[in-house]
Amino acid sequence: MDKYDFSWRIIQENLPELINGLIITLQISVAGMAFALLFGLFFATLRFSQYRILNIVSNSIVQVGRSLPLFVLLFWIYYGLSLKFKINFTDFQAGALALGITGGAYMAEVFRGGITAIDKGQSDAAFAIGLNRMQTSRLIVLPQAIRIILPQTVNIYVGLLKGATIVSVIGVADMIYVAQYVSLETFRPFELYSFAGVVFIALTLSVASFAWLLERQLSGKSRRG
Amino acid sequence: MLEIKSVSKSFGELHVLKDVNLNVAKGEVVCIIGPSGSGKSTLLRCMNFISPPDSGEIVFDKVSWRSYRSKFNVLANLRYEKKLPQLRAEIGMVFQHFNVFPHMTTLENVSLGLQKVRKIKKDEAKQVATKSLEQVGLSDKLQVYPDQLSGGQKQRVAIARALALNPKVMLFDEVTSALDPELVSGILDEIRRLVREGMTMIIVTHEMKFAFQVAHRIVFMDQGKIVQVGTPAEIRNTQEPRAKAFLSSILE
Ligand SMILES: Nc1ncnc2c1ncn2[C@@H]1O[C@H](COP(=O)(O)OP(=O)(O)OP(=O)(O)O)[C@@H](O)[C@H]1O
Ligand SMILES: [Mg+2]
Repeated sequence: MDKYDFSWRIIQENLPELINGLIITLQISVAGMAFALLFGLFFATLRFSQYRILNIVSNSIVQVGRSLPLFVLLFWIYYGLSLKFKINFTDFQAGALALGITGGAYMAEVFRGGITAIDKGQSDAAFAIGLNRMQTSRLIVLPQAIRIILPQTVNIYVGLLKGATIVSVIGVADMIYVAQYVSLETFRPFELYSFAGVVFIALTLSVASFAWLLERQLSGKSRRG
Repeated sequence: MLEIKSVSKSFGELHVLKDVNLNVAKGEVVCIIGPSGSGKSTLLRCMNFISPPDSGEIVFDKVSWRSYRSKFNVLANLRYEKKLPQLRAEIGMVFQHFNVFPHMTTLENVSLGLQKVRKIKKDEAKQVATKSLEQVGLSDKLQVYPDQLSGGQKQRVAIARALALNPKVMLFDEVTSALDPELVSGILDEIRRLVREGMTMIIVTHEMKFAFQVAHRIVFMDQGKIVQVGTPAEIRNTQEPRAKAFLSSILE
């Protein structure tokens, strides 16, 4: 067996670039998540609409959004829209949008699940004291649903964070992209990709513990009865 | 005070209410009895449009309310939706499963409607809510969350929540059915207190003894129809076959 000498110095030498890549990864995943929340809330609202046709439209979009591979979506948005409709997004915008659509399709389900998990008696009681629809959602249903929605939202964000590595294929200089081109010069892909892997583990863990803290905070204020 | 005029409602193919008519006068206590699935809850929920009737009319305090729903005019639907809370705020409702808000303290549960519906300032709302909770015997539980209350206490919170808004009518839907037996009489006593105060009430119940005691009139429902209406004495001695069968089945 050939002996492979690990050379972790490569990381140290290229740290500034790797960190820049990491920042891009974070930015694009956060932007994607923002879109995902927006899309998700929008499509979940349509699913609860009293108009049948809106339910069906929203349901179909959510299904398609969930089944499309991120890669294909990214390709369509970045190259397809540009070729066919002359709609040009920057690589970053295209990446964020693709993440947003995929994430949004999942978030729509999360929102729907969280809201339907709340007993209908809660909104009945809210209506009975004269609250309107908006007040009932804002004051009664959402505060209870959030405790179900939040942990799943974090899961979806972690998914987007990992999904964000795919944007390197259209040339976004995220951490994976940086690792890739540095390893082309240095022939040290193992070290570079492993570093990226460890960073992702650290990120995921910190996001998860943040969610855990938040959840504890929320459950202190709002108990189940 | 509250008139139900030929109200009908179906869920899909199931006709749950078939041309129901009922008149409730101010200060009157009406108990609704009948077999499970006869449409008692649905009728109650039609009265405050939590579950709007398909057709028919509710006249409350001389104002007529009908279901409205345009297929195309979304704005008109919204305008109609905006009016409903006015009606609901005047009609208190208490449910079988309490439906207290678990993410709010007892005091917040009761003051919410005062602040958001009656637009009373927070401090004043808390005072009114406190008084309302005192009346149901919960003055030592103001800052407690519902998960630390017994079923009977939760139901008291729900009663206080409705009464705090000073409604003109109270609707009770089997409010003791989910309670442990030893807690039932406490809640029935709360309703008796309201009877003495002259509150107009419509009470769906399976507690026959209680119904015959407090009701001015008893309504017997079966299969989505009001089969018979009468004083407790009249209903007790009914010759109507279905009412008779129901009463003998439940009183034995
Ligand atoms: N939201 C709904 N969707 C479909 N069917 C419903 C709905 N609500 C009630 N029903 C049906 O309507 C019928 C009447 O129900 P309702 O709850 O009014 O009866 P009830 O007299 O209150 O019975 P119970 O004594 O068991 O409470 C039942 O057959 C019930 O299954
Ligand atoms: Mg019922």
